[in-house]
Amino acid sequence: MFRRGSYAQVASGNAGSGQSNPVPARSGQFSHLANSGSFPLAMSSYSHSRHARSIDADGHHGSMSNSLSRSGPVPSYSSQMGHMGGYSSLQDAGAPAFFVPSYLRGSRHAEKLEEAHKARIAAYREQRSTHSSNAGSLSTSSSSVNLHKPGHSYRGLTHEIIERTPAFIEEPVAPWPTRWDEKDKFAQMEVEEDGRLAKFAGASKSGHDEAAAIRADFPMPRQCGIYYYEVTVVSKGKDGRIIGVGFSEAKVPLNRIPGWEPGSFAYHGDDGLSFTSTTSGKPFGPKFGTLDVIGCGINFRTNTAFFTKNGQYIGAPFENLKPNVQYYPSIGMKKPNEALRANFGQEPFAFDIDSIVQGEKATIQQEIALSKGQPREHGSTDETQFIQSLIGQYLAHDGYVETAKAFAEEAIEEAQALAADGQADVLYLQTEEDIDAINRQRIRAAILDGDIDKALKHTTAYYPSVLRDNENIYFKLRCRKFIEMIRLCSELNAQVLPHIIPTPPSKRSTASTLNNRNSTATDEYDFEMELDEQLGVHNGAPWGDDDDEDEDDLEAKQKKLQDSTTAMIEYGMELKQEFANDPRREVKRALEDTFALIAYENVRESSLAPLLETSGRVPVAEELNSAILVSLGKSSSAALERLVQQTEALVSELADDGGPGAFINVRKDLLQ
Amino acid sequence: MSSSTVSVSVPTPTQQHPFQRKIDEIKPSKPDIDFLVMDYLISHGYPRTAAKFAKEAGVPTHLIEEESIEARVEIRHAIHKGDIDTAINQINDLDPQILDRNPALHFALLRLQLIELIRNCTSVPTSDITPAINFASSQLAPRAATNESFLKDLELTMTLLIFLPSNDLQPQLAELLKPELRQQVAAKVNEAILTSTGARGEARIYSLYRARQWSEIRAREAGKDLPASLPLGLEPSLVQANGHGEAGDVMVQ
Repeated sequence: MFRRGSYAQVASGNAGSGQSNPVPARSGQFSHLANSGSFPLAMSSYSHSRHARSIDADGHHGSMSNSLSRSGPVPSYSSQMGHMGGYSSLQDAGAPAFFVPSYLRGSRHAEKLEEAHKARIAAYREQRSTHSSNAGSLSTSSSSVNLHKPGHSYRGLTHEIIERTPAFIEEPVAPWPTRWDEKDKFAQMEVEEDGRLAKFAGASKSGHDEAAAIRADFPMPRQCGIYYYEVTVVSKGKDGRIIGVGFSEAKVPLNRIPGWEPGSFAYHGDDGLSFTSTTSGKPFGPKFGTLDVIGCGINFRTNTAFFTKNGQYIGAPFENLKPNVQYYPSIGMKKPNEALRANFGQEPFAFDIDSIVQGEKATIQQEIALSKGQPREHGSTDETQFIQSLIGQYLAHDGYVETAKAFAEEAIEEAQALAADGQADVLYLQTEEDIDAINRQRIRAAILDGDIDKALKHTTAYYPSVLRDNENIYFKLRCRKFIEMIRLCSELNAQVLPHIIPTPPSKRSTASTLNNRNSTATDEYDFEMELDEQLGVHNGAPWGDDDDEDEDDLEAKQKKLQDSTTAMIEYGMELKQEFANDPRREVKRALEDTFALIAYENVRESSLAPLLETSGRVPVAEELNSAILVSLGKSSSAALERLVQQTEALVSELADDGGPGAFINVRKDLLQ
Repeated sequence: MSSSTVSVSVPTPTQQHPFQRKIDEIKPSKPDIDFLVMDYLISHGYPRTAAKFAKEAGVPTHLIEEESIEARVEIRHAIHKGDIDTAINQINDLDPQILDRNPALHFALLRLQLIELIRNCTSVPTSDITPAINFASSQLAPRAATNESFLKDLELTMTLLIFLPSNDLQPQLAELLKPELRQQVAAKVNEAILTSTGARGEARIYSLYRARQWSEIRAREAGKDLPASLPLGLEPSLVQANGHGEAGDVMVQ
């Protein structure tokens, strides 16, 4: 049975050597991690189909994870730390390259993976800095690198839990293969050069059916639409026999050459035949040997696999691949010293796969261009008109009132020119929704102006049910109105107060335009006034002329202040009466806060001043706007926004299983 | 489209279809959409709207500094009105190569002009049809001689002379008199001018819209679990001029 003694043993490739276990058990996630220079951060993002397998094949999780976690032997622990350290410094230097195979550049899937990668690096950095104080502990370093908490006995299970709750991305993004998998290989296979080179290290001893195979770390993601990789035959070995390049399902045993077992597919170098599920191949291509570059790709849209040799397309020997199975790049060899180096996209490919993918994209775009489905939900069947109304609705919906107006005018001009003798229908872009948009804009504008009464009046008139059905919004509006009244009083107060002491005209003129002053300005003002006083410049004589007017004005203002204060207090009582018995906590709190405002003689200098800010109107306006939209049975987004949303969602639906959507990047291809 | 593969459960307001959630999770970027709108306004030729939009939406103004827009509006206007002669002159003023490089477009314009001539000279029973015949033989016939489909189009157009005036044309001929034909040609001219300046011929929103239609059809074919319908929420919005109500008054003062 496979039991790992220490990390170092695994790293050196000796673990389990000589074992006859047909399916090499997956050893710890850590060993993989520590060795994967190229794509470590993506590991935990993706539910590995092989985790299930590792449970099947390996009954020793308990003991294994023991060795990895708390009670693990010290040497193993320390060697891991060494690797972690190495890894993190690499990470900081930007060395473990996240790479995008050339043919996938600009694809939506590549974007998603890159986003996930960046999020992981960011999270990793953050965690590292958070935990740097106790970086010596295994738990910290392991979680900071891979979010794997130690001490979980069943790794398969742990994965499930951890991978379901990644903090930074919503759903796992399937990474592409980056290297040969140290733990998914025949025992005597050696992996070198950052996982790129696979070498048969064992002695050829067993029966002629025996061989050594290895799989890549991740399956070929269907979301790529086309996945392609190449291997170079570095050395064919002495009496080189049988090198197989292809792909296989996760559970295919690795003690035979790919192509012979069910679920494996390969092109063999010794005879140029293609094999799947059987030892008798079919005539396919030329033989290949040392220094030949063999490419293998799957087109998930057509579910076919194809091969290339030295940059030349050979053919597609495998069709009708299962659409719901994950295939891993896989190679196999038979003789000592045979070695293959893989290019999973880290380097340019020998074959011009980019053109194949571009061609595929072009095919899909052609298909789209010809797809002029009828707009069904619309009176018009004409694409041009439909788009025109989409634009018109967006402009009105999002509150570009002037633009909407200009658009309607220009569209009408256009329609009139077209209509013979001006007799034909002149098409307007206005809709009921547009009336709503204008009403909503009025209501919104009223709230933003602080005119809550107007907003309440309009809302009640146009959307009587909204305030009934959304009592909390009604309450917020009432509170806001109270706040606006307090604002008014405090403004009037600020205007009236300075007049108690006569002031120079320059200041007075300032005082009369005080409407929107904030507390800072008032402070300054008062300060200057005091200054003036001290300097004795408050002598009224030179400015006596307009004093009378000012006296009247002042009187009026004082009167107004008095009235406003009375009204405010009355309104406050009313408000209190209406909501005092409301059991909801947020209502009570809001009432308390609001009423506390009255307690201050100069609210603007109190700690509650922020409540008076005009910016507090915005959320109320937004909330009411949304409520109105909902009451109209409408989503809060314009049809054009939904068009974008639906297109992205549908295309991604068509991409998940490698369908035609994989070849479209809505944002890049259609929006920009 | 196989609607039978669509999930049986009819989504109710309370029970949202899982796909709707996927849609809602996508947050389109406002600048992207504004760009899409601006792109449409420029490429379609709504200069005043584009200027207002640049101001209101804060879209970078370099987008509206598209040189050909005024000319394109005038040309479109001329074609829509049936003033093809003016349109051709204006196109040639802009770039004489445009029509040279697009013989089919040039022919379509000339044929439109012929249709207008025929329409004019058949509107009065006693009028002379020679201008139409002269125009056809001098301008269109030489081009039609070299191209099968041009010839067919020309022949069809000439039969108008026989049937007009008539209220009961066969559909093929009635098509020729519909404003849609002018609209189509105008759109093609617009595209050609844009392409000649190195711009995209068609506004992006068209591709987006087609991709939306295409992807729904393909997703339903593939048996994906989608709601029975995916409305955009765009109500019938084309109110006829004589029947327009308050909305028109409010928006178009």
